[in-house]
Amino acid sequence: MTATPDPRLRRRDKLTSDTRAAYAFMAPALIGFTVFVVYPLIRSAYFALTRYNGLTAPVFVGLGNFRRMFTTDPSFWPSVRATLLLVVLYVPLSLAIGLALAVFCNRRMRGVRVLRTLVYLPVVLPVVATITLWKFVFNPQVGLANQVLTWLHLPTSEWLSGEGSAMPSIVIVMLWSVGSTMIIFLAALQAVPTELYEAARIDGAGSRTMFFRITLPLISPIMVLQVVLQLVTALQTFNQPKILSPDGLGGPGFSTRVLMLSIYNNGFPTLGRVADFGYASAQVWVLFLVIVVVIAATARFSSVWTYSDHVS
Amino acid sequence: MKRTLHAAGALLVAGGLLATSACGGSSGKEAGGKTTVTVMTWESNATNQLIDKALAGFHDPGITVKRIDTPNGNYGDKLASLTQAKKLPDLFWCGNDTELQYTGQGLLTDWSEKLSGSADFTTGSFVPTAMKNWKTADGKIGGVPSLMNTYGIWYDIDAFKAAGIPVPAAGWTWDEMYAAADKLHKKGAKYGLVADAMTGLDAPFSLSLYSLSAGGAPFADSVNQPTEVTADATYTEGVGKLVAGIKSGAVAPPGYDISNQQSLFAAGQIPMLWSGQWLAAGFLTDKPKIKYGFAPLPQVGKAATLYDAVGICTPSYTQNADATFKVLKYLDSTVWTKVLPDSPVAVPAYTAAQDAYFDALGKAGLTTVASTVKADLDAPLTMGVRFTTQWASQSNDLITAYWPDILQGKKPLSDLQTMTDKINDVIKSNG
Repeated sequence: MTATPDPRLRRRDKLTSDTRAAYAFMAPALIGFTVFVVYPLIRSAYFALTRYNGLTAPVFVGLGNFRRMFTTDPSFWPSVRATLLLVVLYVPLSLAIGLALAVFCNRRMRGVRVLRTLVYLPVVLPVVATITLWKFVFNPQVGLANQVLTWLHLPTSEWLSGEGSAMPSIVIVMLWSVGSTMIIFLAALQAVPTELYEAARIDGAGSRTMFFRITLPLISPIMVLQVVLQLVTALQTFNQPKILSPDGLGGPGFSTRVLMLSIYNNGFPTLGRVADFGYASAQVWVLFLVIVVVIAATARFSSVWTYSDHVS
Repeated sequence: MKRTLHAAGALLVAGGLLATSACGGSSGKEAGGKTTVTVMTWESNATNQLIDKALAGFHDPGITVKRIDTPNGNYGDKLASLTQAKKLPDLFWCGNDTELQYTGQGLLTDWSEKLSGSADFTTGSFVPTAMKNWKTADGKIGGVPSLMNTYGIWYDIDAFKAAGIPVPAAGWTWDEMYAAADKLHKKGAKYGLVADAMTGLDAPFSLSLYSLSAGGAPFADSVNQPTEVTADATYTEGVGKLVAGIKSGAVAPPGYDISNQQSLFAAGQIPMLWSGQWLAAGFLTDKPKIKYGFAPLPQVGKAATLYDAVGICTPSYTQNADATFKVLKYLDSTVWTKVLPDSPVAVPAYTAAQDAYFDALGKAGLTTVASTVKADLDAPLTMGVRFTTQWASQSNDLITAYWPDILQGKKPLSDLQTMTDKINDVIKSNG
């Protein structure tokens, strides 16, 4: 007499083979993630506790790199200050300009598609090439920016060469690519039901009231997402100060030496210098923790900022 | 399922192959028992072509020379990655600081034995200052100096004439330089003198020339193995004069954008420019609108100048040191005699090859460049352009924190003392 196989067992077998197939398909991504993300993270955590130049064996120094960072390194706190200044200038401006452009591009008018394309165009252009062009624009002696100001009989600026004007100049260059922010806002605006506006109009609401009472609340989840994205973008800014600062090190002085550039300078120094991977790794972890805290705080308070229409 | 795994495996293998494909690599045997010696330079395409042409004249039945192409703009990144991967070519262009640091780490082949003796390619065949600075404290020579940068003041002859000032010449003083800068500024130039060497990261070393020339102490007692930095009364006096020059608008302030300084000088917009002899090669291809000259750096008493030689290094794992040395000797001597006539970029440190450079300058009518370079080579007092130590970036950060503010009057001159004290702390903490 033969036993009839249990159908549940057959299903579990099938599930197991499906799971295996799923893992097989995921394997390349998992291996890549492990090799290129998890492993470097663990290694950099170890290097952060060592003095390591990449050429000879690392020497364990405990918290020495962090002590140097917070106490004796003359560039660390100015780097933090430069990063915070960038955040304070860039994040609100990119959100405000992005949203304003999105609202403008959301209108039904002739040429709106061309306008959207023009606003988004800088995003698809090669980053390094456009930043390099801006360097020419901001050249205090022969740059277009000062020539335009001269034609308009306005005082010229030192732009990237002045300690006070260098960071605002970099923010202007970053805002040049505000099209990506605009496009996400535009998608959010187009998802707002038009009947809400029609009902508000019947009730006598003006466009300003509709914007603050309908549009903003309904796109608030996207606004939170944008805040997080722009904060991370600002905290991880590297290309602009690297290419635009007169010495490539975040000058003049420390005015544009943001944390990412400071990390790069230590990890990949100029020709002839030996790398300081240990110290750079310690800085990486400080920046990582700052980003984690910022994102966690934003997520924590997002429920307060975002509009929710669920019925309990 | 199996197919998927095979595909994934193939992808990983392909990725691995891509990752491990060498772009550098040391000498090795090739078919026919010949040794291949690899060379990597940071030169422009035009100069590399001249080098290739010159290398074609290297004949040794057992050696093939192969130059590795590298974008000269990213040379530092490429060098760093090849160093990490231990795939450096047999001969690569390097700075004095790279050579000293890499030799200290045991990464380079020590040529001191091969360079001793009395043949035609020994330590005695080079400009003494250059060779002295390419030796480590324990006498190792991990690279050989090739070309020497010499520094001076490029000047616009017409601007000087218009301002009624005699053009700079050997023996002129710092006071004369500042006075000329002031007059040129008052005559309409935005700045009379543009001198990044006095306002940038290497500035404290450049200002050493003032104190050295006046009989005072240099900023650093050595750039290779410094034990202390000082800012004595003479040095402070020199910095004070620079501060006054910046304040009056005669001298360009820290942060001045130097990216276009060469073209601005050539266009007659910068009447005096502190820079190196290498501009001459560019002026031969892109002729300036102005009549120009090149004068030695100013002095107080004795002539003093900056020394700065670049060279050619060899990794410790070169497969065939004898073959590599033969090519090195050819590169550092014969090649320059063939390249410099078409591109007189710098004077060779190998003295027997210097005539080619000076002849090229003479043919081009650049007599002031030739005489200034010669004067620099003969200067009794010299100072290195920057620290070559591993901790140099730490002292650079301290210089960045103090120097620009002192020059712009945001910090008092007395803060020079604070800056030097802090750099001395860095020196002490790094042993």
